[in-house]
Amino acid sequence: MNATKPSWFSHSALALGFAFLYLPMLILIIYSFNESRLVTVWSGFSLKWYGELFRDQQMIDAAKVSLQIAFMTACASVVLGTMAAMVMTRFRQFPGKAMFSALMTAPLVMPEVITGLSILLLFVAMGQTFGLFQERGVTTIWIAHVTFCVAFVTVVISSRMSELDRSLEEAAMDLGANRVKVFFLITLPIIAPALASGWLLAFTLSLDDLVISSFVSGPSSTTLPMKVFSSVRMGVSPKINALATLMIAIVSIAAFLGWWLMAREEKQRQRDMQLALQQGG
Amino acid sequence: MAATASSVAAANGVAKSDAPIREDYVRIDDLTKEYDGFRAVDDVSLSIRKGEIFALLGASGCGKSTLLRCLAGFEKPTYGKIELDGVSIVEQAAYDRPINMMFQSYALFPHMTVEQNIGFGLKMAGLARDRVAARVEEMLTLVQMNRFAKRKPHQLSGGQQQRVALARSLALSPKLLLLDEPMGALDKKLRSQMQLELVGIIERLGVTCVMVTHDQEEAMTMATRIAIMDAGKIRQVGTPDEIYEQPASRFVAQFIGSVNLLEGTIEDDEKDHVTIRSDVLEQPIHVGHGVTGFEGQAVAYALRPEKIKIEKDEPAQPHNKVRGLIEDIAYFGTHSVYHVRLQTGKKLLVHFMNAKRWASERFTWNDTVWLSWGDNAGVVLTS
Repeated sequence: MNATKPSWFSHSALALGFAFLYLPMLILIIYSFNESRLVTVWSGFSLKWYGELFRDQQMIDAAKVSLQIAFMTACASVVLGTMAAMVMTRFRQFPGKAMFSALMTAPLVMPEVITGLSILLLFVAMGQTFGLFQERGVTTIWIAHVTFCVAFVTVVISSRMSELDRSLEEAAMDLGANRVKVFFLITLPIIAPALASGWLLAFTLSLDDLVISSFVSGPSSTTLPMKVFSSVRMGVSPKINALATLMIAIVSIAAFLGWWLMAREEKQRQRDMQLALQQGG
Repeated sequence: MAATASSVAAANGVAKSDAPIREDYVRIDDLTKEYDGFRAVDDVSLSIRKGEIFALLGASGCGKSTLLRCLAGFEKPTYGKIELDGVSIVEQAAYDRPINMMFQSYALFPHMTVEQNIGFGLKMAGLARDRVAARVEEMLTLVQMNRFAKRKPHQLSGGQQQRVALARSLALSPKLLLLDEPMGALDKKLRSQMQLELVGIIERLGVTCVMVTHDQEEAMTMATRIAIMDAGKIRQVGTPDEIYEQPASRFVAQFIGSVNLLEGTIEDDEKDHVTIRSDVLEQPIHVGHGVTGFEGQAVAYALRPEKIKIEKDEPAQPHNKVRGLIEDIAYFGTHSVYHVRLQTGKKLLVHFMNAKRWASERFTWNDTVWLSWGDNAGVVLTS
């Protein structure tokens, strides 16, 4: 097949696609700088809604709760996900291994409503029988988030681990390292980038989860998405636009930084390899 | 001939030192490894001498790598014994065995420098920091990589990576060094240079070494002795020249180098000579020594292409000559290979050394030529 020049059709398809993806966000960002209280009528540039946002103590508290939960969720998910990935990629065949892998990743396709409801029922049952989790709050949200984030983190880490050259671990063992040392000195440092991306994934998933949090939260633990959702129901305030704009900015900067760091490392690597080849022997 | 071959091997092989050589420094007894009913290694027994470089040679899937992994401790044999220096090691974990391996991919730790890679085993052994540093320095000097001590593996060329891998596997002074396809990741030119360098280092340290390879040139260049493996079994063990000049079976004869196999039956079995009647030759083959066989036994006469003489005129010798037509020519520079079709339709390969410039122009397509060979040129194979 010959490579053809892009036609007007492919150009317009691209433009439409991007418009569909990013126009709503663009509008949201523009209106966050709106002077007017009305979200759909432009009346001049202003930063006042950003000021309002930072004066809203409830919003700030909700953000703090969300960040705290997201941080704890990401950490716990990476630990559990790494353990699950080890079992899936490094353990010998055992009865029920396929079943284990399937069950580990099932929450990926489970509707959130079902996950949330079932976890809530579990907490209620535990409260009645053991007296645990009678007060629902940050801890229960954390546990619920970990249960669904672990599935994502496991997929990320196990795919990295299965493509890791097994002979590296064998070489370490050959040189006298037992299994524990092999894991901490060889496997872990090499898969560290996957751990980092798994951590970030779990962090963002937890940060913007609404459905599961709504099921298992308590009176003192309103997360940011819950706060946003409830305030939007009272009527959309441009304050929410300002909040959304800030979140988009943070996410974009983080993504760009990650890309830039990786590109720089890759470039350095290419240069090193060229150099090594030229020196030869 | 076999006697000559082995004495030559002994002279330039391991018999240098005056100390008595342990014939069974590494001893493998009835080793079998099964995967789901498939026998990757099938009842292998081997003895490896102290200080020798022993090659396991075979096509991919013949079980040579599995055997090596059993030695390293990465695979547990289904049954069988492995002894190293008189100690059974089957029950020892890979990290407890005094055996180190150089991997085909080198398996250098990408997040560590050259120094840290070489020092890893020493650190695991619990050596003090200054002793680790001294040993690393010693190993770097051994492989001439001192300049590169602070580099990461990806900043090295293939040949340099191999040296680091070798240094790392020798740092702990293992009782047995394993090499898995040592030249597999190098390009052809670098290969022959590194082969000799590697052998030089290994012999200087006097470490016993088992290597796995599918490349017969590599095995013949590097190894003191070679074991030919096929379908999980050892077919023959011998020095490179024994394997080449005195193959034990049709399989080995065909596996190593190229060979003309002439199938026939023993016609006349005397003490000092034998004649073999073959359908593809008009004249019986005259063999100048006795063989352990009987009259009427089906045998194959294995004749290497370079042992056949090619001429325009009929040679004077009474036996072992045949006329044919040159059907194909392959010119390799150092030598030419002629495909000669006999009157019976059988094709023989003949090598002709191009010892003089333009020597290859003497013969061309469709020339009628005479082929002849000596009484001791070939090997009578019964299996």
